Amino acid sequence: MTIAKDRIGGLIFLALSIAYGYSTTLIPMYPGDEYEVFTAKTLPFSLAIIGVVLSLALLFSARHEEKSRIPDLDWLIAIKLIALMVVYGAVLEFLGFLIGTTLFLLCGYWLLGERRKLILFFCSLPLVIFFWYVLTQLLDIYLAPGAFMTWIGGV
Amino acid sequence: MWEGIYTGITTAVMPFNLLMMFVGCFAGTFIGMLPGLGPVSAVALMIPVTYGLDPSSGIILMAGVYYGAVFGASTSSILINAPGCSSTVVTAFDGYPLAQQGQAGKALALAAYSSFTGGTIGAIFLLLFAPMLAKVSLSFQSSDYFALMVLGLTAVAAFAGKGNILKALMMCVLGLMLSTVGTDRSNGVERFTFGSIEFIDGLSFLLLAMATFALAEVVMSVMDRATNAQQDQASNASSLGSMKLTKAEIKQVAPTMARSSVMGFVVGVLPGAGATIASFLAYGVERNLSSKEDKKMFGKGSLKGLAAPESANNAASTGSFVPLLTLGIPGSGTTAVMLGALIAYGIQPGPQLFVDHPDVFWSVIISMYLGNIVLLILNLPLIPYIAKLLEIPRTILIPLILFFSLTGVYLVSFNAFDIQVMVIICIAAIGLKLLDFPLAPMLLGFILGGMLEDNLRRALLINDDSMSFMWERPLTAIIMALAMLALFGQPLLNLVRAKLGQGKSQNVFDAE
Repeated sequence: MTIAKDRIGGLIFLALSIAYGYSTTLIPMYPGDEYEVFTAKTLPFSLAIIGVVLSLALLFSARHEEKSRIPDLDWLIAIKLIALMVVYGAVLEFLGFLIGTTLFLLCGYWLLGERRKLILFFCSLPLVIFFWYVLTQLLDIYLAPGAFMTWIGGV
Repeated sequence: MWEGIYTGITTAVMPFNLLMMFVGCFAGTFIGMLPGLGPVSAVALMIPVTYGLDPSSGIILMAGVYYGAVFGASTSSILINAPGCSSTVVTAFDGYPLAQQGQAGKALALAAYSSFTGGTIGAIFLLLFAPMLAKVSLSFQSSDYFALMVLGLTAVAAFAGKGNILKALMMCVLGLMLSTVGTDRSNGVERFTFGSIEFIDGLSFLLLAMATFALAEVVMSVMDRATNAQQDQASNASSLGSMKLTKAEIKQVAPTMARSSVMGFVVGVLPGAGATIASFLAYGVERNLSSKEDKKMFGKGSLKGLAAPESANNAASTGSFVPLLTLGIPGSGTTAVMLGALIAYGIQPGPQLFVDHPDVFWSVIISMYLGNIVLLILNLPLIPYIAKLLEIPRTILIPLILFFSLTGVYLVSFNAFDIQVMVIICIAAIGLKLLDFPLAPMLLGFILGGMLEDNLRRALLINDDSMSFMWERPLTAIIMALAMLALFGQPLLNLVRAKLGQGKSQNVFDAE
């Protein structure tokens, strides 16, 4: 598959600049601000204009752009890893640091193709416990135990 | 000045700071060695660690990580032809052929000596020039700062754009746009928060840096099948061979190292230029200077061709601290991250740093010098073991790096929402990278955004709401002129060349 990178990039940035420019009109103003030269809107508004000009320039200069091939990339693994991070973010506060992170690391190793049980084990739980110890005991950082742990422990 | 140096030495040699230097150099070497993770990512990964430290120790740690990473990146360039960052791309030109000829040990040792020379010469220059520039910059006004920031942004766009200035400029603007999210610092108006509490404080710099330079880089490296193949090759890396250099060889490369170091430092000081340009430039110059016989060796395992970029990129890394420490304007992506970290400490780098926090100012400079010695001591005997580290399977490393990046941000905010924001920014960053947009200018724009707005506002206030300071105040006018030159210099030069029919003249960058 081939794509025209500059044209796509230019169009996206144009849309972004216009949306940003529109949003600047939503910034509230103080009474009397209309007499000021520099208000909260000034810089954003100028940026929106510069953004539009730059994206138009890119689109204009990309008229004769040759389409380039998309490099051969492994999209599936990227999607899996991103999904894993989203799930980690979603369950971290429920499961707590210890369980959440151990599961995250285990799934991560598994997704990337690690199947040796010993490595899977030694690079997850002991490592997480070590970090947990360093963070909470040595660096005095409070880590919430997580709703799940509280529920189990009945604390 | 002597008093300052004394303060610097006493701070830098405190056992804890020395420890930080060691840890920094080691961690930097390790992270920098991983293909895809360069100095920016290495320093960004360290930010959460430094939050608990005092400013001098934190910045010493980060500086150690910085030059450690530059050195580490060259290790992977030499051993597996997979540069850890753009500034060591050139190192692979001659380093990898040497490794293939069974002289990997010699190449690594030469890289270590060259880095040391570059770093040390850079540190001496920093010691001489930074205080001078800091004194001069005390007389700078808001309008000059505004102009300097414009210069920083245009220079980064001109140099980091890999030939496409427009795209780099667009990324600067995107960074500036992102910096306007949150509460306006001078009148408290909420901008672009869309009613969400999460955005009232604006986007966190750490989050942005981690998402674009750690997460996105790692995910990209997993996606790239070519890198994966190279990594697998690494595990069968052959023996290192002898690490000794003969006297004749040292004699041959010594002038190269000296020249490249000086050139690297000068290029590093220029805002936006940085280590990549310095290494390419040094390589090109050395190739042109050498005799016909030597010239043939370039690209096939020339010692000069390895020493030049290695000295230059380390000297440039040191040089890029000059604008950061004296003007508060980062000259590269990495120093931009460090600026963010300093601001998080409540320290505003710039001319006042020299006056308000002499301990930070001087200890960083002294630690640069000591750091280079540490790097040499640490790396020379450890080279065989460091090479082994490249054999840690990626299946283990990648989830760990993702974990460090995510928790690094989470542990600062304790808000799981940030992890989701990081993932969204990471996806956007991957898209931008695929469309060939450089990300460093965005980070720089984001960091400079707030300062740029404040200084412009102040300059207008001082000047009765008139923009005339841009051309009436000589210093501002000169800096603005330089910014324009950075922006339009190259296209104009190309135009002139094309007119003169020399458009195809050989460029050092063609080597890439």
